[in-house]
Amino acid sequence: MTQQAMAPRISRRRTIKALGAAAVAAGALSMGALAPQMALASQPALGMPQAGEKVADTLQRLFAGRTLQPAGDRIKLEAPMIAENGAVVPIRVESTLPMTADNYVRRIYLIADKNRRPLNATFSLSPASGRASLATNIRLAETSDVRVIAETSRGELFEVKQEVKVTVGGCGG
Amino acid sequence: MSVGQVRIRVPERAKAGEVITVRVLVTHPMEIMELKGGKPVERRYNFIHRVEATYNGKPVFEAETSQAISQNPLFVFPVRVDAPGVVRVTFHDTEGKTFTAQAEVKF
Repeated sequence: MTQQAMAPRISRRRTIKALGAAAVAAGALSMGALAPQMALASQPALGMPQAGEKVADTLQRLFAGRTLQPAGDRIKLEAPMIAENGAVVPIRVESTLPMTADNYVRRIYLIADKNRRPLNATFSLSPASGRASLATNIRLAETSDVRVIAETSRGELFEVKQEVKVTVGGCGG
Repeated sequence: MSVGQVRIRVPERAKAGEVITVRVLVTHPMEIMELKGGKPVERRYNFIHRVEATYNGKPVFEAETSQAISQNPLFVFPVRVDAPGVVRVTFHDTEGKTFTAQAEVKF
C-alpha cells in the first residue's frame, strides 16, 4: 500500500473508493446509474489536491493482482505518436469486444503512466452502448505510456498501451 | 466563452437497433494543479469530475473524470437506439455545479 502523507480524511476517501471499486468488480448490480457516485464522505475533499501516485501503485489499487490480458486486436487505441500540445492529446478507443447482456465491457480505464495521478478517467458502459468505443482529449505532463484497460462484466481485463511523446507538457507547473 | 455551455451532436436520423455516435462538449476551464515550490497549492480546483448520459431516461454512459481531461472537455460515445428519443448529458463540477443539455434522435 502507498504511504499516506495526507490527512486521514483523504485516506478515508481512497479507502471508500477502493471498496467501491471492489464492490463493482465483484459484479454487484447497480440500480439506476451505471457507476454510482461514491459516498458523501468524499464530497468535502472533492477538487482538493490528492497525493501523487506511481502507476504501479495505481494499477495495484485498481486491479490488486488481477490478470491484465494483452488486448491484441480486441481493442484499438488511437493516440498521436507525438503530441504537439500536451494539454490536448486526442485519445480514441475502438473495440470489437462484445456488448451483450451476458458479456459486455462495463468499464474503460484511461491511464497515463507519467501523470502525477495516472488514472485520468474511468468510463462506464452498458449493453445499451452497443459498442465499446469512446474518444476524449487528455492532458499529458510528459512523454508517457498511455494505457487503456477494458473491464468486462465477467471480470476480465484487457490492456492496450502506446507511448505518446510530448514536446510541451500539458499539466502546467 | 462562458463556463458550462453544453453542445451535443447526434445524427439527424437513425434506424432501430443502430449504434449512433454522440459527441458532447462542455465549456469548462478544467483547472490544473498550481505548484508553488514544487508542491501543489492547497485549494479546491474547479473541474468536471462526473459525466452522466441517458437515452430516454436510461443510463448509457458515465465517466469519472479528473484534471487530466483537457479544458472544454469533449466526449464521444456510442448509444444503441432501439426507439426514437432523447440523449441527455449532465456534467458535474467540483464546485457542485451541474450543466445539462439534450438532443433528439429521430427515426
